[in-house]
Amino acid sequence: MPMRSLSCSLALLLLLPTPLSASPRHEPITPISPIRTADPARTELGKQLFHDVRLSADNSVACVSCHDLSRGGADSRAHSLGIGGKPTAVNTPTVFNAALNFRQFWNGRADSLEAQIDAVIENPDEMGSKWPDVVAKLVQDANYKAAFSLAYPDGVTQANIRNAIATFERTLLTPDSPFDRYLLGDADAISADEKAGYLKFKQYGCVACHQGVNIGGNMYQKFGVMGDYFKQRGNPTDADLGRFLVTRNEEDRHVFKVPSLRNVALTAPYFHDASARTLKDAVDVMFRYQLGRAASQEDKASIIRFLKTLTGELRGSLQ
Amino acid sequence: MKKSLQRRMAILGLVFATLLVFLYIKNPAHDATPYFESIALLRQIKQLDARRELDAVKSKLGVNSSYDPLVNALSELDTLRGQVNQLGIQQLQATPADWDRSFGAYRDTAEYKTGLIEQFKTHNAVLRNSLAFLPTAASDIRNVILPMAHQEQDENREVLEQLTAQVDGVLLNSLVFSQSATDGQVSEILTGLDKLAAVSMSLPPAVTDGLDIFMAHVRTLIAEHNRVNELLSTIAAVPVAAHIDDLEYLLSSVEQKAIARTQQYRQYLLLLSAVLAGLLLYLASRLVRSYAVINRVNQQLKAANDNLEQRVQDRTLELQQAQGKLVDSARQAGMAEIATNVLHNVGNVLNSVNIAADQAMRQVRTSKVQGLARAMQMLNQHATDLGEYITQDEKGKLLPGYLNQLTEALQAEQQSILNELGQLTHSVDHIKEIVSTQQAYAGAANLVEPLQIDSVIEDALRMNNSAFTRHQVTVVKQFSEVPVLLLDKHRLLLILINLISNAKNAMADPAGHARTLTLSVAMVDTATLQIGVQDDGQGIEPDNLTRIFNHGFTTRKDGHGFGLHSCAVAAMEMGGNLTAHSDGPGKGAAFVLELPAQAVQEMP
Repeated sequence: MPMRSLSCSLALLLLLPTPLSASPRHEPITPISPIRTADPARTELGKQLFHDVRLSADNSVACVSCHDLSRGGADSRAHSLGIGGKPTAVNTPTVFNAALNFRQFWNGRADSLEAQIDAVIENPDEMGSKWPDVVAKLVQDANYKAAFSLAYPDGVTQANIRNAIATFERTLLTPDSPFDRYLLGDADAISADEKAGYLKFKQYGCVACHQGVNIGGNMYQKFGVMGDYFKQRGNPTDADLGRFLVTRNEEDRHVFKVPSLRNVALTAPYFHDASARTLKDAVDVMFRYQLGRAASQEDKASIIRFLKTLTGELRGSLQ
Repeated sequence: MKKSLQRRMAILGLVFATLLVFLYIKNPAHDATPYFESIALLRQIKQLDARRELDAVKSKLGVNSSYDPLVNALSELDTLRGQVNQLGIQQLQATPADWDRSFGAYRDTAEYKTGLIEQFKTHNAVLRNSLAFLPTAASDIRNVILPMAHQEQDENREVLEQLTAQVDGVLLNSLVFSQSATDGQVSEILTGLDKLAAVSMSLPPAVTDGLDIFMAHVRTLIAEHNRVNELLSTIAAVPVAAHIDDLEYLLSSVEQKAIARTQQYRQYLLLLSAVLAGLLLYLASRLVRSYAVINRVNQQLKAANDNLEQRVQDRTLELQQAQGKLVDSARQAGMAEIATNVLHNVGNVLNSVNIAADQAMRQVRTSKVQGLARAMQMLNQHATDLGEYITQDEKGKLLPGYLNQLTEALQAEQQSILNELGQLTHSVDHIKEIVSTQQAYAGAANLVEPLQIDSVIEDALRMNNSAFTRHQVTVVKQFSEVPVLLLDKHRLLLILINLISNAKNAMADPAGHARTLTLSVAMVDTATLQIGVQDDGQGIEPDNLTRIFNHGFTTRKDGHGFGLHSCAVAAMEMGGNLTAHSDGPGKGAAFVLELPAQAVQEMP
């Protein structure tokens, strides 16, 4: 009897037409797993704070000012503007899937989203605030006071503000990109061209750094492995030093966190210096300075087609 | 002496109690859980650390195609590290600096290792990229050269083909190098590269570009390969495990100390309990000894008590005997007194008897009967002419008048004598009563004989019979069936005569209407006889009810107060009792005699 019911259910499974039943692929890139359940009260609070200009010294800039959730979690400026219209040192990376990065910032100086929030709020060029001022401002808001006391036992504090924002940011994942669906077994989720682009992406060695769940974001790499990018570009800045600014280790000169390629089609311009305005420019630079090889325009176009399948969908609180 | 001992004992007890409390407080409630948790966490950290190394090697070999495993371990390690730190701080509260130093050393080492792993990732990516690309780069060169070689002259063609072979050689050497690196191979590859560089000068730019790319990647391969290997061996050499061992050692030494301290306190406690047990034993022995002493004293006391009791008994006996003698003499005295009383009373009454008898005698002596005799003599002298004598004779005519006067005188005389004789009889009755009372006292002997109760009662009634008729008393007899009983007839009779006589007296008021005396006999139970004597005479005052049995108590003017008293005494002597009931003056009285009586077995 159990045998029969087992075979029955097996038959039912086999009859299911959905591609969900297909097995996931084993690739260097892995799909985003479903969003973990987050505390709804804290998430909602984080969302409000994310949009709140009071985090900045002159109440002019909110997180969302640079991390525009409708523009791929970043803005289209080469350098975003902090308080007083001061341009930031590097191009704004997307907040989407930031939770999946092993470190935050281009040079990876923040170990966590919380540390990243600290750094931005107190960065004189960005929000230019002091934490006590921020807490004082928010405490005056009765709505915040009520919402915080509901979400946290100790109400409005620096740690809780940080945690709320980070909690919200952890929900800003973009699963369900065509490529993720392809990885999960839906063979028709991307076209043959795009599959060919993925093959090129792997063959040309892009995948040596852009791998893992976030297609990057899990290691550091020197910008200009196979050639001196900065010499070619000129106008060296402090920011170009990358991780050297953090470690003061000569080996870390020009070393940056490998950025995620998820939603890469939405986050132009590219690189910390926003030097590449289009994907094509970026791919060209990558081929030249990172891979140290030449590739045909067709191959690059093919890779770009693949990169466009990495645009996912924002879920949860923002829908 | 005893008091000071007690005080010393109390002080000793207090000292021990204090010591016990002190040890209890001082004895740390040691909980080994944090220690074992920390050790488990440290093991886990160690394992994760080893896995990181393994994942790095896997990445180098291309088994891991992404660095996510290495990254995921980081957050896990962070969490575990935080937990261990908390537990460690908790356990090394006494010497926080030790923990901070060791944990700091571990953390720094681990971070250093993480840094090395990051560098490894960076270099490994480049290495793998170049390694993967080299064959393609070589074939790219070939793809450019081969069509070119077909068009060229022999000499140039040979050069081109030689170049291809050289590229292939470098490629082969590089691939072999990447598998198992030796210094010799490096120099060989470098020589190959030098040759290629020399040749490339004279080649067309299309070939040179490809060759440059190839050579750059070979150089990168060599540099990164060395760097990656060096990093891997450095990573393996980072003494993270040793620092974790240090932490374990630190924790375990603290734990050991805690255990040792617990052990020590346990020993103290053991010692203390041993001392306390000794003390207890000592006290127990003392208690046993005290018990023995108490026992001995108790026995002595008991013996003394017994002795005393014996003496008391002896004395009591003596006393009883003395009392008996006293009673006897008192009894004799009493009897003498009674005899005196009786004699006195009898004497008194005899006086009246004497007077009455004298009076009667005088009356008889001075009787007018002499006159009657003279008159009769005169009549006898004139018997022949009696009628004439009486009617004619001067003297004879006076005779009827005289006879009439004489008759009146004789009648008065007779009445007077009768009165005197009545007085005499009364006095004799009184003497009889006194004597019978005296007999009651005198007859202390208990003569039990089989009695038919109704006949005894009849006897008693008979003795008062004359009075009953005189006072118009009706006697009602309510006799139940009573067997022949063994009783003291004399006493019973005495009681009954007294009770009946009392009843009779109670009913002898001048009103003189009909009276009823009720006598009842019944067996209350098999061994108790109840005799009731009830009259409807003058009754008894409630106050007197309790006193009527007292010696000398009487309500009658001519009473002595002996009767009821002697009755009650007799009833008591027979083992029974006599009780009186009355509803009050004028409502009669009832006396109930209850006697224990044994029925006589009827002879056939």
